[in-house]
Amino acid sequence: MPGFGEQMERLEAIVRKLEAEDLDLDEALKLFEEGVERLRVAREQLAQAELKVKKVLEIESR
Amino acid sequence: MGASVDLFSAASAEGAWTVGEVTKRARAVIEAGLPPLWVRGEIAGFKAWRSGHWYFSLRDKAAQIRCAMFAKQNFRLPPPTDGMQVFVFARPSIYEEKGDFQLTVLELLSTDQGGLWKLAFEKAKAALTKDGLLDPARKRRLPLFPRRIAVVTSPDGAVLRDIQAVVGRRWPLAELIVVPAQVQGAKAEASVCSALNRIRRLPVDVLIVGRGGGSIEDLWAFNTERVARAVAAMPMPVISAIGHETDVTLCDLVADLRAPTPSAAAEAATPDRSEIRQACDALGQRLARALRTASRHVVERLNRTSDRLTRCMEYRLEKSGARLTAHGARLDALSPLKVLARGYAVARDQQGAVLKSVGQLPPGKEFRLRVTDGEVDARVR
Repeated sequence: MPGFGEQMERLEAIVRKLEAEDLDLDEALKLFEEGVERLRVAREQLAQAELKVKKVLEIESR
Repeated sequence: MGASVDLFSAASAEGAWTVGEVTKRARAVIEAGLPPLWVRGEIAGFKAWRSGHWYFSLRDKAAQIRCAMFAKQNFRLPPPTDGMQVFVFARPSIYEEKGDFQLTVLELLSTDQGGLWKLAFEKAKAALTKDGLLDPARKRRLPLFPRRIAVVTSPDGAVLRDIQAVVGRRWPLAELIVVPAQVQGAKAEASVCSALNRIRRLPVDVLIVGRGGGSIEDLWAFNTERVARAVAAMPMPVISAIGHETDVTLCDLVADLRAPTPSAAAEAATPDRSEIRQACDALGQRLARALRTASRHVVERLNRTSDRLTRCMEYRLEKSGARLTAHGARLDALSPLKVLARGYAVARDQQGAVLKSVGQLPPGKEFRLRVTDGEVDARVR
């Protein structure tokens, strides 16, 4: 799964492209769908409640 | 026993003391007569051994004394240099193996330039400056949405709890990677460096180096050139939360960001989840609005296209009309009707074929004759 940062970057790029460019309907719809999906994933990530804490020693022993 | 030595009992060879006995006695006399005291002098012949012990002489114009300062006393101190004026708090004694009169130094204070601390700090700072490590242009921007946040700190302190609480509240999407280190004491410098070294190989977006307060001596590991260089060499941005407002450490200076407290460091490292939620909502609204606009554009464009098509067709039709008229005129000029109007006639048989020669017109042949205003039946005589 892409990180939250990439998710947001792509989302903003989609919105800007939709706002700025004269797209045909097909392309606009495709971008819109992608945007909606990315928003959904982003909101899901934001809803995650628990912080994961790892000690580096545990990582190394794995 | 005290200082009353019976010199006469030692006057004969039979009663001779061993070297060990006399140095031992001398040591006892000195230690009893001279309790630990402050001594002022200039450092000479300074030497730090691998063991961590320091040896040097303390001198003035009249005399000098050998001094030893052991690792367990000096580990917090930056080493002094020859020629430095210092105060030492020391226990006078005899080093029996060599028979040397010496001071076992318990504390050492420099009187030069604000003391040893300041001096060592300025020296290391100058070295770091020379290598460009304190250049503000080196400061990196912190990541907006960190995935992994590493923390170098003591594993069971309030520092870690504070950081964990802030990150958990603001940005629990991140993973907190804790690398325990000894942040004070003799092993702090090595321990912090090895923790940094371990993190260097991990996929970490931002690093917090933290400890909560403490005296300048407690902070010393973060003032060493070695730790400062290790921090500067980290591949990811580093937030330093070491000193207080008044004590800036070298680690603070080389870090990409200096935070006043570990909590503040954690805040700087993370976005606020509720703000990002709002940003997501705003993006969603823009997305919907943009789609509406985009589809309106498409409709408008369709309309425009159809208008253009119509205009184009009209133009074409007009043009064709004009050409037709022109052709018509030319056709008209060539029209046989015109010729007929001039008085000519056309003979055609019953099937309509034009009769052009005498052979086609034998006597008695019936045919039709076309003149300008109509047709008449005719017969050859």
